Amino acid sequence: MRTLIKEFVLEPGTGKALELRKGQILRLEQIEGGQCLDFNCFNLDDYKEFFHCGRTRTLHGIHPTRGDFLWSAPPRERAMMYILADTAGANDVMFPRCSANLYESVYGYDAHTNCQDIQAEAQREYGLTPDDVHDSFNLFMCTGVDENGRTYITRQASKPGDHVELLALMDVLAVPNICGADVMRTSNFAIRPAKVQIFAASEEDLAAVPPLRSWRTQRTVADFKVKAIRTERKLARDPDYRPEFVNTPIAYEAIEIALDAEEQALLGRLARREQYGDRDGEALRDIVFSWWEETRPIG
Amino acid sequence: MAETTVTIHLNQQQKDLLDRTVAAGVAPDRIALIRLALRRYGELHAEKG
Repeated sequence: MRTLIKEFVLEPGTGKALELRKGQILRLEQIEGGQCLDFNCFNLDDYKEFFHCGRTRTLHGIHPTRGDFLWSAPPRERAMMYILADTAGANDVMFPRCSANLYESVYGYDAHTNCQDIQAEAQREYGLTPDDVHDSFNLFMCTGVDENGRTYITRQASKPGDHVELLALMDVLAVPNICGADVMRTSNFAIRPAKVQIFAASEEDLAAVPPLRSWRTQRTVADFKVKAIRTERKLARDPDYRPEFVNTPIAYEAIEIALDAEEQALLGRLARREQYGDRDGEALRDIVFSWWEETRPIG
Repeated sequence: MAETTVTIHLNQQQKDLLDRTVAAGVAPDRIALIRLALRRYGELHAEKG
């Protein structure tokens, strides 16, 4: 059984930074329908770990939905939240947050509601700066890629009651905001309020999360050579710096492979000639690692 | 049966992946693994018809 902890209406033009403990659910619900919300989140104990559209897009595609996770940026790469519910099925991780500059440069506004500035104003409650705002998980936002590879935003069809539920998998600062775009299709040319609720998850909610494997490469500050967060804005070279790039120098070894007639024929059939021409070694290397990628013979 | 030699250039990271695959018992050695990969890839992408 879920327990309601907090409930309020997020008014047009605003956002709110909310502390969510591990095991709590943020529910964002349409009141009138048709409203896009942007969403940022940070590890509450280390704001340098934050939600990353790119990592999430890589794992779940451009429209994350129920059953997907929100991942933090490399080098952390941990699951921060889990999408428990998504009734509209129209979320986006391609488009950046809209900004004041967008509305000035395209529409000529001196001032206009925009997700960058709304996020910054909400995050200021926790001492974060406008530079700490990151690209959003765009909820209730219909996007796609056309036949020419160009991304687009179109009108949306969310209805009153449509909702997205995000379960915190760690303590987070969760920051939803009402998207400021009322002169674009994003929210069907309007700005409307949305309902926000925080629940303590039920056992059933928690049981819905698929098991997550831990990896050595999900790095923490303990792994960093530089652990302190910079306080100076101006960059200056460290005179003691000596590069320590991993696995360098990269060195190639020539390995001769004797192929029998059948294998030669196979290579002839499978070689990507348009890519490698008559360079059989490169074509064979492509085949070997393509096979590995496709079959993952070891875990 | 006539054999042809193909020279493949692998860096240390690529060799590491192949060697770990060998160590897991997929093939007896690196060269055998490369030949196995070629054959298996051919089976995966067999021509239709």
